[in-house]
Amino acid sequence: MLKDITLGQFFPGNTLIHRLDPRTKIVCIMVYIVALFLAQGWAAYLLMTAVTLLLMAVSRISPKRIFTGLKPMVFIIVLTGVLNIFYTKGTPVAEGWIITWEGLEKAAQMILRITLLISGTFLLTYTTSPIALTDGLEKLLNPLKKIGLPVHEMTLMMSMALRFIPTLIEETDKIMSAQRARGADFETGGLIKRAKALLPILVPLFVSAFRRADELAVAMESRCYHGGEGRTRMKQMKLAAIDGGAALFTVAFFAAVIVLKRIGI
Amino acid sequence: MSEIIRFDDVHYTYPGDEQESLCGVTLGIEEGSFVAVLGQNGSGKSTLAKHMNAILIPDEGTVLIAGIDTGNEDRVIEIRRRVGMVFQNPDNQIVANVVEDDVAFAPENLGVEPAEIRRRVDDALRQVGMYEYREHAPHLLSGGQKQRIAIAGVIAMQPQIIVLDEPTAMLDPIGRREVLATVTRLCREKGMTVVLITHHMDECIGADRVLVMADGFLVADGTPGDLFSQPELMKKHGLDVPETVKLMADLNRQGWNLPLSALQIEDCVEEIRKGIGS
Repeated sequence: MLKDITLGQFFPGNTLIHRLDPRTKIVCIMVYIVALFLAQGWAAYLLMTAVTLLLMAVSRISPKRIFTGLKPMVFIIVLTGVLNIFYTKGTPVAEGWIITWEGLEKAAQMILRITLLISGTFLLTYTTSPIALTDGLEKLLNPLKKIGLPVHEMTLMMSMALRFIPTLIEETDKIMSAQRARGADFETGGLIKRAKALLPILVPLFVSAFRRADELAVAMESRCYHGGEGRTRMKQMKLAAIDGGAALFTVAFFAAVIVLKRIGI
Repeated sequence: MSEIIRFDDVHYTYPGDEQESLCGVTLGIEEGSFVAVLGQNGSGKSTLAKHMNAILIPDEGTVLIAGIDTGNEDRVIEIRRRVGMVFQNPDNQIVANVVEDDVAFAPENLGVEPAEIRRRVDDALRQVGMYEYREHAPHLLSGGQKQRIAIAGVIAMQPQIIVLDEPTAMLDPIGRREVLATVTRLCREKGMTVVLITHHMDECIGADRVLVMADGFLVADGTPGDLFSQPELMKKHGLDVPETVKLMADLNRQGWNLPLSALQIEDCVEEIRKGIGS
C-alpha cells in the first residue's frame, strides 16, 4: 500500500516543455507566480488561464491529472473563497445580506488564482525530473555561495533525500509487516489510537535511517567525496534556442499582465 | 611483482572499546593478486579493510598503499582514488537516483572533465555488464545488480585495488555469482588487485591467497588449497571448509584416498573419477 505513494511526481516525456533547461523552467515559473499576484481584473485572469491551458496542452499533461493533484488542496481553496465572500465590503446581493457582489467577484478571482498557482507549479514538477530540478536549483543559487550559503550541500541533501525516499518506504513496509505479524493493528481505532500504533514503526525506522546515513557517509568518503570544491559534473546543462523562446514568451506575457493592470480592465 | 598494500604491525582499537580490533597485523599484498580475507563476525576483517583506504588510521604501526602512508592526511584523496571500496549493503552506497549518475559520482568528486567522465562511466558499466541499465532507477534493480553498480562506481575512479567488504552477504545465490564473476574477471583480465572480505568459504576458492583473521590476529595465510586441506585449523577459528573439501574428507573416511586440495567442482569430479578408475 505504501508503494503507491509517489513524491515529486514526474511524468517523463519529450515535449518542448520537457526539453527546456531546468533553470529556464524554474525562473519562468517564478515570473509566472509573480505575474499571478500582480494580475488584476478579469482580462488578466483570462490571459493567465489561457496561458496555463496552453502550457498544459504543449506539455501533454492532461487537465485531469492536474485536477487529481489539486484534490488535497480543495479544502484550502474553498475556505479562502468562502472567507472572501463574507469579508468583502460593498453592495449587498440582496437587502440585508452580508454577501456582496464585490465579495463574490473577489472569491471567484481568489479561487482562480490559487488554482492557477498550484497548476503552474505542478507543470514544473510534472515535466522536470527531481534530479534536473535540484541540479538547476544548484546552478541558479550558485551566486549565493559568495555570501556563504552552502548551496552545494543543500542541493546534495535534497537529492539524497529524494534518493532515499523509495528505500525508506520499502523499509517502512517491511517494519509494518513485521509488526502486523506480531498482532499490531494499524487500521482500526480513533485518531489517537492509530497515531500511537505508529510509534513502534517510527522508532526502528529512525534507528535504521541513522545507520544508513552513517554507512552512506563512509561510502561517499571512500569515493573521494570532499565537498563541492573542485567538483565537476558529467551532465552539463546547456541553454538552447528553445530556452530563449521560453524566456521571450514569459517576458511578453508578464508585460501583458502589467499593461492590463495599468489600463485597469 | 611488487607489494601494493603493506601493513606493518598495525594496532587499532575503536573509540570507546576496550579490546583491540587489530592486534599487530603485518602483511603484504602483491599487485594484481586476488586475496580473500576470511574470518568470523568480529574477527577484525572489516576493520582490516577500512584501513586500506584510510577510513581508519592505525593507532600504532603503518599502512602503506602503493608506498603512501595512510596516516598522511594530505594524500588521503590520492589513496582513496587508488583503492576502491565496495560495502555490504548496496542500498547504502548508491548516492544518485539514476544508475549512470551514481557511477559518475566518484570521477565528479575528483574533478575529471565531463567528456572523460562520460567515457569512464560507459566503460565501467560495460565492464560489469550493466550498460543497458544506465538510465534505470537503482532501487528497482536486484541486489546483485545494485552491487555491480557499486562496483562500476568504484571502477570509474580507475583504481589499482578494489576492496570488497562482504559484498555478497545480502545477496541471493544468483546475485552472489554475478558479483563474484565480475570481481574475478576484473582481477584476471584487467590486472586489478582484489581484496575480498567474506565469510563464505566457497568464495575463496578462486583466490590466489587466503588470509584468516581471528580476534584481531592474522592467524593463517596461504593458498586456498593449503588452508582448506587442514579442516582442523579452520575449525579452530570457527570456520568451515568448502563443500567440495567436506565431500572429499567424507569419502576419505570411508576408505578413499583423495587429495583435499581439489577445491573447484570440476577438479573434485576429476579426482573422484580417477579414484573410481584405479
